[in-house]
Amino acid sequence: MKWLKLVRTFNEGCVNFYRNGWLTFATVSILATSLFIISITIMLGFTANLIIANLQDKINVSVYFNSSVTEERVMEIKDKLSQYDEVKSVDYVSKEKALEELLGLSSNAETINKALEEIGENPLPASIVIRANDPGQYEKIAESVNNSFFKDDISSVNYAENKKVIDRLTGIILMSREVGTIFGLVFVFVSILITFNAIRITMYSHRQEFEVMRLVGASNLYIRMPFVFEGILYGFVAGIVVMILLFVASYFISPLTDGNIPQGNLLKVYFSNFFLIIGGLIAGGVLLGVISSFIAIRRYLKI
Amino acid sequence: MIKFENVSKIYSGNFVALENIDLVIESGEFVSIVGQSGVGKSTLLKLISAEEQPTEGRVYFNERPLDVIKKKHLPYFRRNIGTVFQDFKLLPQKTVFENVAYALEVAGETNEEIAEKVPEILDIVGMSNKMEKYPHQLSGGEKQKVSLARALVHNPQVILADEPSGNLDPVSTWEIMQLLLKINSLGTTVILATHNKEIVDKIAKRVISMEFGKVARDEVKGKYII
Repeated sequence: MKWLKLVRTFNEGCVNFYRNGWLTFATVSILATSLFIISITIMLGFTANLIIANLQDKINVSVYFNSSVTEERVMEIKDKLSQYDEVKSVDYVSKEKALEELLGLSSNAETINKALEEIGENPLPASIVIRANDPGQYEKIAESVNNSFFKDDISSVNYAENKKVIDRLTGIILMSREVGTIFGLVFVFVSILITFNAIRITMYSHRQEFEVMRLVGASNLYIRMPFVFEGILYGFVAGIVVMILLFVASYFISPLTDGNIPQGNLLKVYFSNFFLIIGGLIAGGVLLGVISSFIAIRRYLKI
Repeated sequence: MIKFENVSKIYSGNFVALENIDLVIESGEFVSIVGQSGVGKSTLLKLISAEEQPTEGRVYFNERPLDVIKKKHLPYFRRNIGTVFQDFKLLPQKTVFENVAYALEVAGETNEEIAEKVPEILDIVGMSNKMEKYPHQLSGGEKQKVSLARALVHNPQVILADEPSGNLDPVSTWEIMQLLLKINSLGTTVILATHNKEIVDKIAKRVISMEFGKVARDEVKGKYII
């Protein structure tokens, strides 16, 4: 009996969904728009965070040592620095590696090689590259390096040269996070309100039917279930539609992110999280649809 | 079967719709409730279907007071009653067949029973050739026949008809009345609220005349007298 009623109310929900035509179209469109805004907000925030993290990784402070300092001494200093709370990583760049990098970067490697032959030795200093957990901490790190027990071993710290760039980047990072979060929350809130209202209007258009249903002996649950199923369908279809829209959006935004995020580009992020995204979208849509219908119909079932 | 015991209904704003009504309707009766608009005919019917609760007094259905029925049991109680309205109240998105079937579906009847009973009842009201039509494709008289079929299909003990002919032409009106009389002759109690004098006089059954929320006359073979 319960099963029979469940099947019936489900069928009824499906029939309402396709017979209501325009109303269904309008409701799904609004729900899809809301979901799209929400997911674009999340996606842009996510991408921005990836780009920011990537940029943050590029900020660093290099400490160059005097040529007389031995590798053992540098390793000792490196281990000490790694223990600082503010420090995320310390990488050692040996003289040889520094040369390798220089040759790799430069287009006239041959000229450099010839010059080196003239000098007879590798003039590049060994260095360590320090990355901080937080871009705001570079100043502190640079200061403590300059006042450390090994300050006499250092030939130069490039913090002062990079200071301007680092400060500007830090500012942009902090600002974009705050603005992004505030805008994101506002968009999400407005979208939920709009969806809720759209579904309330749908229910309003059915209000006389609820009365009839009650009078022919339908229980409140029996009246409500088809609309809940209808809400599920709205959410499901909207979720699929947004999935496609998101693909299109990522496709066009993707070239802008090429090489700026660890995963390569946005499209790759989309595909590697495909099931998470589709699951989240459908779950979000269904939840929004069902909760809105459930609340909206309540006021018509009072008698 | 239905008993009103000193019933008053006062709506908000101190509007007195019914005042001290004492009334007994026996099983199998055909009762016309007449009176001008606003004298409380519809309220009387709504008290029987427990859509409204009396402000004072009690209404009994099969000796059971309606005010003690729990809210969640009201749907089950309402399956004892079939209701016909002036504005038909058909579900616009459903076909004729589905509208009638709905009353059986909510009661949990099987698909086989529904497939059997619905065409049967539509045949009785003369609508079996329009089962797949939607309400907007029907005339007023046809809609009322479907509404009547829906009210009847689950074999209710009572039919409440609130101005069923209000929107109909004389021929359709008479067709509906004949159907109501036929249903009544098969044992179903019929309570008809109307201000159609001609119909009431022609039927010549019990008439309860109402004035200002009170029963003014109650005659076994009555006529519409204002």
